[in-house]
This record gives sequence, C-alpha cells and structure tokens, in this order.
Amino acid sequence: MIDTAIVVGIIRILFVCIIITAAYIISTRNLLSVVSVYALQSLTLVCIALALFSLEGSIILLAIAVVTFVSKVIIIPYFIATIQEKIRIKRDIEFHYLNPTTSLLISMALMLVIYMALSRIVPETPTRDSLFLFGAVLGISLMMMGMMVTFSRKRAITKVLGFLSMENGVLLFGMFVTELPFIIEFLIIIDLIILVILTTILSVGIDSTLEDYHKRLHRFHLLEDSEEAP
Amino acid sequence: MNLDFVLYLVINTLVVIAISPLFVSLIKKVKARAQGRRGPSIFQTYFTLIKLLKKEVIYSPNSSRIMRVTPLVTMAAILVAALFVPLVFVPEPVGGIGNIILFLYLLALARFFMALAGLDAGSSFGGMGSSREMSISSIIEPTTIIVFAALAFVFKTLNIFDMFTITATAGQPATSTLILIAISLFIIIIVETSRIPVDNPETHLELTMIHEGMILEQSGRNLALMELSSAVKMTVLMALLINLIVPFGLTTTLTLAGILIAMVFFVVKGSILAGIIGLFESSMAKKRFFQLPSLFAMAFFFSTLIIIIAVFS
Repeated sequence: MIDTAIVVGIIRILFVCIIITAAYIISTRNLLSVVSVYALQSLTLVCIALALFSLEGSIILLAIAVVTFVSKVIIIPYFIATIQEKIRIKRDIEFHYLNPTTSLLISMALMLVIYMALSRIVPETPTRDSLFLFGAVLGISLMMMGMMVTFSRKRAITKVLGFLSMENGVLLFGMFVTELPFIIEFLIIIDLIILVILTTILSVGIDSTLEDYHKRLHRFHLLEDSEEAP
Repeated sequence: MNLDFVLYLVINTLVVIAISPLFVSLIKKVKARAQGRRGPSIFQTYFTLIKLLKKEVIYSPNSSRIMRVTPLVTMAAILVAALFVPLVFVPEPVGGIGNIILFLYLLALARFFMALAGLDAGSSFGGMGSSREMSISSIIEPTTIIVFAALAFVFKTLNIFDMFTITATAGQPATSTLILIAISLFIIIIVETSRIPVDNPETHLELTMIHEGMILEQSGRNLALMELSSAVKMTVLMALLINLIVPFGLTTTLTLAGILIAMVFFVVKGSILAGIIGLFESSMAKKRFFQLPSLFAMAFFFSTLIIIIAVFS
C-alpha cells in the first residue's frame, strides 16, 4: 500500500491544478484552449479519484474514474472541438454583466465565504479533516465559478463549458463529502453527453445536416472565407 | 557583522553582476530560435555592455541634474536589493538586510528615478514611457505586495534569508501552495522586467514601448548602467523564484566547493527558467494596455488564495 502522507500531498497538488484550470477557464478569451483546459480539469478529477481509491479502496471511486475518463476527457471534448471546427469562432470577447477580471475577484470572495460557511457545517473528524474540508470547499467554488462562466459569456459554446465545469464541481464535492450513489453519477454523465449533442445541434443548425447549414451561413454572410462556397 | 557576511556581500554582488547579462542573452536566443532565426551569441550582452562603457556620454541641453544621478541611483538601489536575495550562499541575516518590505521599496526607488529621468530630458517618448510605467506600477504594486504577503504567511517570516534557509534545509521542493506562489512570482517577473504581454523589450515603436521609452535619452556608460541594472533586477527576481521552489544546491555553509557547486546549479536552473520565459514570450502577443489588469488579477487571485489557505487551515 502507498504511504498515506504521500497520497495526501499528491491530492493537494491536484487541488492546486484544479484551481489553476478553473481560473484559466474563467478568465481566458481564447476559445480553442478552453476545451483542452476543460479536458485537463477532468483528467485531474480522474487522478484525484484514483488517489482517493488508493486511500480508501472503495470500488465506486474506481468506477467513477473510468466513467469520467471516457466521457469527460475523451467524448465531450471531442464533440466540442468538432463544433468549434464547424462554426469557426476562435475568440470569445463578449461578456454580460461581468468581465473576466471582476469574475476572478468575485470568485475569490465566494471561496472565502464558502470556506467560512462549510467549516461550521462539516463535522470535525480527527483524521484528514482539513483535506476533506478543502475538497468540499473547492467543489462548491468550482460550481460557483462555472456558474459565473455560464452567465457572463455570450457564446453558446462557452456557456456549455461553464456548465460542464460546474458539473465537475459537483463531482468533486460528491467525492469528498457525501456518498453519491454511482447510478446518479452515471445518469448525470449521460445527461451531459445529451446536452453536448443538443448544443451541437443548436449551434450548428437545428433542422439540417452540417453541410446544409454551411450553405445557409453563406447566404447570411456569417461565414466568409471558405472554399466550399456554393 | 562577521567575516562570513562580508564575504557573502562580495560573492553575491560579483555573481549577480557576472551572471545577469547571460540570462538576458539567453532569453533573446530562445526567442530568436522560436522565430526561426539564429539569434545573437549568448555573450552578446557582455560585448554590448563593454562597448557602451567605452563610449562618450551625451546629455540633452534641457536635462538637469536628475539625468546625471539617475543611472547611479538606479544601479545602487538594484545592487542593494540584490544583496537581499542570496543566489548561492545563505548566511545569517544581519540587521535589516533581507527584509521583504525594504526589498520592495528599493525596487520602487529605482523605478521612481527611472521615471523621473524619462521626464527630465523633455522628449515626448520619455514622458510617454514614464506615464505608462507609473500607471502599470500603480496597478501591479498591490499585487506584488499581496504576493510577498503570501510568502510571509507561508514561511511565517518577513526575511528572505530565513525563507531560503527553510527551503534549503527542508530540501524537498514544491508543496502545493508553492506551485501557486511560483505562478504569481512568474507573473511578477514578467511585469517587473517589462516582458512581452506587458511591454516589448526589443521594440522602439512609439505605441508600445514602456521601459525603452524611459531610457531612450541615456547614452554611453549611463546607458550601460541602466541596461545592467535591469538585467540584475531580472536575475534577482528569478533567483527569488528559483531558490524558493527548487532550492537544491543552495548552500548554507561557507565552503569553496559548496559555493562552486551552488553556482553551477544556479546557472543551470537560471538558464532553464530563462528558456521558459523566452518560450512564454514567444507564445504570447502583447496585450492591450487596458487588458493588463486581467494578468495581474491572476497573480492577485492565486496569492490571496494562498493567504486564505494559510490562515484557515
């Protein structure tokens, strides 16, 4: 068995990775890198689940790791990358209500509030309590930061990414505080995949194939430099 | 003040002056390679400095005494600040040397005189550079203070020497909070030394230049002093990052072999960091002036997070 102190150290470093990716998603204007950063964030979650598995040995954590890896690291980023290639939007520079800097500052304040609130609610257990409390705080903060991304961006794709990173927060919270039944976790992921497919349809064209919609974009002069012009 | 400390003063100053031009040229070399050019030799900055030292100094007829003292004041302030950050050997701190707040104010003093000299000659470029530098520094200074406050919270001390002693004796690098500190310090390095998302150190285009604009009127050995002082400043900030995050090789006892080994280690680690800075610069475009706060907000966010973690857990 691996030493507990080392695993706890690794989990702390992974927490830091999650904070960094969340801050990146909330503040970047470059659409192409957001998807890969989201995949990275999900991969970090997989690593955390594996580290927790080596600590506790519960088989559900392993299942969560596998399902998360397949769906959120491979399938969903692949879908969104495909959408991006089709619609050719590279930058997201329009914001509602909050610009990235303000959202960063607000999320900082939120994190502090969540920490103070949770430290009263979560019962003090003698072992590993600070780690689990920190995981819970991070989970809820990630949810809040995802929510801020969702309502402060104007593009549909970034909104969806905000929602997805919100779900990552739920997963993180579930891993550290409550015992989410595996079947619910699985259903959430199926929901997410359906959501992403719906987004594909919404942002590329509701009632047509992709090639058809391309022509329509041309008619409305939404897409200019393309060789397959009619 | 004992003998060890006097030796430290001499060694540290000599090392920092000898190494810093190398890092500047290394960054230029990496950037040139990234753009597909061969780039200047890695000793080019030394040659440039020697050439400038031989040249005559010319002052504008409009300039006052400030123009004459600025290179000396800047160099002196930066060199004293360099004493606060041990590069290869950490002695016992003596007096106020190593205090983090004094360190920040020495950097601010150098910057203040540089901005004054930019205004002094009366050229429009200098005034523009000074104005921009001061606007940027008024935004970055709170962030810098928060980053250093986070350092003080993590290490429970205000003295850089004590921090280095802690990291050098603990030997193990990179706990989780240190990663966040590293990112914040990296952003500070980029901003303080006028590198690409903030300012372009190579251009003399009036729209973009900040640091170059201020030293446009300097010539001869004064220009050499200004160039050297900005190189030393960069090396000192890099040393702060290196010795906090990857401290192995840093020695706390004064032996000849230990110092030589530490020096080799420092040059290697510094070259790697210079390479990273060069690659970072090559991968970014210069940001618009009013978008800069988002860069600072990142450093601010991470270091406030460190303080929250340090205070509550």
